[in-house]
Amino acid sequence: MEELFEDIEKLVRAEKRVAMATLVATRGTSPKREGAKMWVGEKGRILGSVTIGGCVDARVIAESERVLSLSEPRLVEMKLADEDAWEIGFSCAGDLDVLIEPIDLTNANANLFDLYQSVRETIDRGRSAVIATSLKDSSFKLLIVEGGEVSGTLGTPELDREAQTVASELMRKQRSGTVPLANDSLPVFFEVHGPPPTLIVFGASHVAMPLISLAHDLGLKTVVVDGRPRFATRERFPDVDELLIGIPSEIAETLAYTSSTFVVLTAHDYKYDLPVLKVVLPARPAYVGLLGSKRRGKAIREFMKDGGMDETLLEQLHVPTGLDIGADTAPEIALSILAEAVAIKSGRRK
Amino acid sequence: MPALYSDVLLDHFRHPRNYGSLVAPDVSYEKFNPLCGDRIRIELQLNQTTITEARFKGDACAISTAAASLLTELITGTPLEAVAALSDDQLIAALESNIQPARVQCALLPLEALRAGMKERFKDS
Repeated sequence: MEELFEDIEKLVRAEKRVAMATLVATRGTSPKREGAKMWVGEKGRILGSVTIGGCVDARVIAESERVLSLSEPRLVEMKLADEDAWEIGFSCAGDLDVLIEPIDLTNANANLFDLYQSVRETIDRGRSAVIATSLKDSSFKLLIVEGGEVSGTLGTPELDREAQTVASELMRKQRSGTVPLANDSLPVFFEVHGPPPTLIVFGASHVAMPLISLAHDLGLKTVVVDGRPRFATRERFPDVDELLIGIPSEIAETLAYTSSTFVVLTAHDYKYDLPVLKVVLPARPAYVGLLGSKRRGKAIREFMKDGGMDETLLEQLHVPTGLDIGADTAPEIALSILAEAVAIKSGRRK
Repeated sequence: MPALYSDVLLDHFRHPRNYGSLVAPDVSYEKFNPLCGDRIRIELQLNQTTITEARFKGDACAISTAAASLLTELITGTPLEAVAALSDDQLIAALESNIQPARVQCALLPLEALRAGMKERFKDS
């Protein structure tokens, strides 16, 4: 479950009113991305962070208490350092905009609380949702669900249509951010929520075992596919969410691939690799990695190209899979694979 | 001495015949090798006396895939008695390759699926 909803569940049990602080824009260096949240309860509970702690969070807490006392939302601009840090040179040298809104947790029909319940239901159904919020008046909100369903409004039908276009692109990237609409006259924050990222591993090999455990620790949903029941066992994969046994390429056809899906082929066997790649590459998941040498990768690419696979699809294939960190053991290889997958998903590596 | 992997074997591996599934097969049977992971499913459409259609699906090595492809060609339109009499040697010979003893099980996996499927279909007959 997304951390946001875990936090809401904890707060509902303990608080009546909370301030929700959301990082909506960053300029310069910032330790957290747009969408980061911090909760400040009326009774003093604090969950989450819009930075990585330090002076800004302290100021957000103070501003949140003010929002709760006035029952009015505020958009606050902040520098990522106090004056001392700035003068001495310890500053991260960035600016942040933080939107702080009061939420009544005792009333499930209260607008904002109700909105997040809808988002959670959407995610539970395996779809993404975007909350678009006008930063000039945060009471104007539009909920856009993957597939086109919308509720609420940003003020006019034209604005809502423009927001839907932006939301579609941000859903694809699974990235929140502020985008100016209406010819740059209205800043709107798009808060993107999606199903948890999924790691699908074809081949229940010894590398797959630490790969699944590590991915589980990172909060990914995990799936292992193999044709051999003796290898694809709960004993070997105690953390895996789904163990699927059968013809791997046939199972591959039944799985969903989104911009949050990582696929890694660890069988190191052409009889699984070739038919599975034929299914997976055209589906364009976030990452496709194949265990093997550059030489093996070249041979597989050539074989698939001769078989009619589009070259642009083959360019998505990462082989050898994983960042070059000198990995030797299975857990080290698993670490390098996940590091590369995350780097590609976040746009730090192509 | 035939080649290790003949042109026939390589052609059937690269361009498998009758690959896929039938909508409502009379016989469907999947066999797998528990260690190497070869997995082949044979599907058949029958009339009273003959196999009218045969398909296979699976992720398997070149020998197993080629053998499955050749097998579906051999049995399509063939009387059921002749299919029952099809021997291991006939299928291996059709591959025109020097199949090593350790790989015989790969070549015979689809035939084992066929035999098991037919046995299941006619167990009450």
